[in-house]
Amino acid sequence: MRMDRTLAWACALCAAAVAQVKYEDILAGPGANWLTYAGSYSGQRHSPLRQITAANAGSLVPKWTFHIPKANGLRTSPIVYQGMMYVTDSNTMYALDARTGRLVWEYRDTRAKKTGVNRGAAILGDNVYFVTADVHLVALDRRTGAVRWQTKYGEIDKGLFSTAAPLIAKDKVIVGVAGGDTGMRGYVAAINAHTGEELWRTYTIPAKGEPGSETWSDLHDWGGAATWLSGTFDPELNLLYWPTGNPWPDFYGGNRAGDNLYSCSVLALDLDTGKMKWYFQFTPHDTHDWDAQAWPVLVDLPYQGKPRKLMLYGNRNGFYYVLDRVTGQFLHATKLVDNVDWASGIDANGRPVLVPGKDPTPGGTRACPGVMGATNWPSPSFNPATGLLYIMTLEQCDVYTSSAKEPEPAKGFSGGGVGRSKEEPGQYVLRALEPTTGKRVWEYRMNGPVSAWPGTVSTAGGVIFSADDDGHLLALDARTGKVLWRYQMGEVIAASPITYAVDGKQYVSIASATAVWSFGLFEPQPPMSPPPVRVVR
Amino acid sequence: MKSLIWMRLAAGASLAAGALVAADVHKPKTPHPAIGDPEAIEAGRKLFSAGCAGCHGLTGEGGRGPKLRDSGMWHSLDDEALFKTIKFGIPNTEMPGSNQPDEKVWQMTAFVKALGSPAIEAPPPGDLRRGEELFWGKGGCGGCHGLRGKGGKYGPDLTNAGGLRSAGFLRESIIDPDADATEAWRKVTLALHEGGVREGLLRNRNNFSVQLQDAQGEIHLVPASRIKSVTLAKSSPMPADYRQRLDRKEIDDLVAFLSRQSVRPAESALARAGR
Repeated sequence: MRMDRTLAWACALCAAAVAQVKYEDILAGPGANWLTYAGSYSGQRHSPLRQITAANAGSLVPKWTFHIPKANGLRTSPIVYQGMMYVTDSNTMYALDARTGRLVWEYRDTRAKKTGVNRGAAILGDNVYFVTADVHLVALDRRTGAVRWQTKYGEIDKGLFSTAAPLIAKDKVIVGVAGGDTGMRGYVAAINAHTGEELWRTYTIPAKGEPGSETWSDLHDWGGAATWLSGTFDPELNLLYWPTGNPWPDFYGGNRAGDNLYSCSVLALDLDTGKMKWYFQFTPHDTHDWDAQAWPVLVDLPYQGKPRKLMLYGNRNGFYYVLDRVTGQFLHATKLVDNVDWASGIDANGRPVLVPGKDPTPGGTRACPGVMGATNWPSPSFNPATGLLYIMTLEQCDVYTSSAKEPEPAKGFSGGGVGRSKEEPGQYVLRALEPTTGKRVWEYRMNGPVSAWPGTVSTAGGVIFSADDDGHLLALDARTGKVLWRYQMGEVIAASPITYAVDGKQYVSIASATAVWSFGLFEPQPPMSPPPVRVVR
Repeated sequence: MKSLIWMRLAAGASLAAGALVAADVHKPKTPHPAIGDPEAIEAGRKLFSAGCAGCHGLTGEGGRGPKLRDSGMWHSLDDEALFKTIKFGIPNTEMPGSNQPDEKVWQMTAFVKALGSPAIEAPPPGDLRRGEELFWGKGGCGGCHGLRGKGGKYGPDLTNAGGLRSAGFLRESIIDPDADATEAWRKVTLALHEGGVREGLLRNRNNFSVQLQDAQGEIHLVPASRIKSVTLAKSSPMPADYRQRLDRKEIDDLVAFLSRQSVRPAESALARAGR
């Protein structure tokens, strides 16, 4: 009888029509909501919110902190929809009240076969999506955390695991695979957002006999080119732009003669079929682990007097690139960091002009950039008002050694190693670049222990948010790079910030090593008494 | 070269984008053969009944000694630590050491482990088809609980019930919904300062905000500044009379069905044996 009453009550609670997240909502870009890892398909990570300005950023205060149990080195970039925030850690997703940080629900896959970092969630309809470390895509009900479906899209015994935030493009969830430093074969896959069915899969290393396979010796099945990060998307061209990882073994190329296509590249893939329309390889036959795991930022700007669809790409190999994203044509490159010595420049075809003697050797070879790269996974941002690209860079050199040992997949072998001089620890520098030339407009040098990797978010309020390698969240003037505000978070920061609004108030959120934080402008709090609670039978 | 900090790591690229992950990858140890073995668990059950159940209860429900099932306490013990606790006891407490050879201690360890294992790994016997019929029919479970996108949203989703909860927990939740003392999922009514009420199921609350879920499953995040008063049901909206609604065999079948609801397949020898 009680069940009948319960159902009757439930049916009486008829709520207003439920607002689902539509593809068009993501297409519209960020506003109060932040619906995809980079905020928009362009990867510009720029928000039109302007409540926080250069004039008032000095009065930012922390609003809440949510500690994630057992977290260690969070990389998650939150997404926010209608006041609910979704953050991820290894095999776990949390839904939080974005105004208070209160937990609404959590989903924990306790039986996953691996643990590892996770970069974030995606949202479409009533589903939120994330990947488990052991290569499952999970669709959860955004409201309740209920499992809608779970799809395995890769095998861990093939050296794979997963770290990236999925990307929603129309009705597809685009996912990738990690693991390129110990042997695996990378790919990008599209999965039906409603059913979990895999629709296409494009490998980042051609199979034997396919065009491009001649750029490898016999490592087609284990040569790496992982897809650690998600990519960006041009809806008009219907093209996904996906970065690929380094070839394996990382530091020894003797058993993989050739350019090793399509490692260290950006791939332009047709959304409907996965077919590669073009590719651009930044570092042919890489031997320094300079994968292309950075964000392809899409902008429409005049280039040499003509409007052009461009792709901006700060690369780990030390160079900054401008490509035509319709055709993949190389347009321009310049040094992203000062410390680049393995190539004297980039030629007219976009190929590095090599400096001899910079390959790793058994005894060690000093080369710049260092193994962490001139930039890496932290998100750059582009502010249309200032016309500047903001990108975290690292000035560093390393000593690279190699080993000609026969490569054995999934045994932790990477073909060598890396050492670093105590006298040359390196330095993080946040740089603002003129996008079509790469010319530096301002830079902010950091002086911490050179252990971090924070990204950036740009706002229409003229404020850039990022962090330094000493645990500070920073607000910087988008035009000048002056520090407007700082907050010591007490932990290493290796994630990218976002901004969102709830109830007309703008927030900035970022993950530190073990917690998710949200900041907003100071508001005096009026005295309050908690509402009375009556417990009834 | 003296001035170099060498980082010849197993994965030399461990400072690279994703390779930081490689060091985090969990590699489980190979368990003792008794863990998950149906015969060892059955032998362990008999030993447990004779030597341990007096304090811990026949199914680990607790009594004079702590609850061993879903207690959260021994979850932090790995197999080795659990074995040592059973073999040597806990000094200065009433928990004595077992006077048994290692083989038998491992059998008891396997049994205690199975008590709190996810149900899918130690699934109880039962008629699964009948259990499914009960879930969607006579039991009325699907009216409130969801399974893989079907069913209701007025109670916890059960798609991964067997992958998360032990069979004992599932059984207890059916026959005594209030055994789990959490407030979540109870009916809550908020009287608002602006007038009117908002009703739903409680997901979370403190003195400064309430998060509730309405009949459509939608979440409402309500700050305390809008709330005049909170009325919270004392007990779970789930019926408490399943002992009367269903007979013992039907409850067994329902638990057996729920035990097999998992987003991942079973892996233990026990589950593979079809028990």
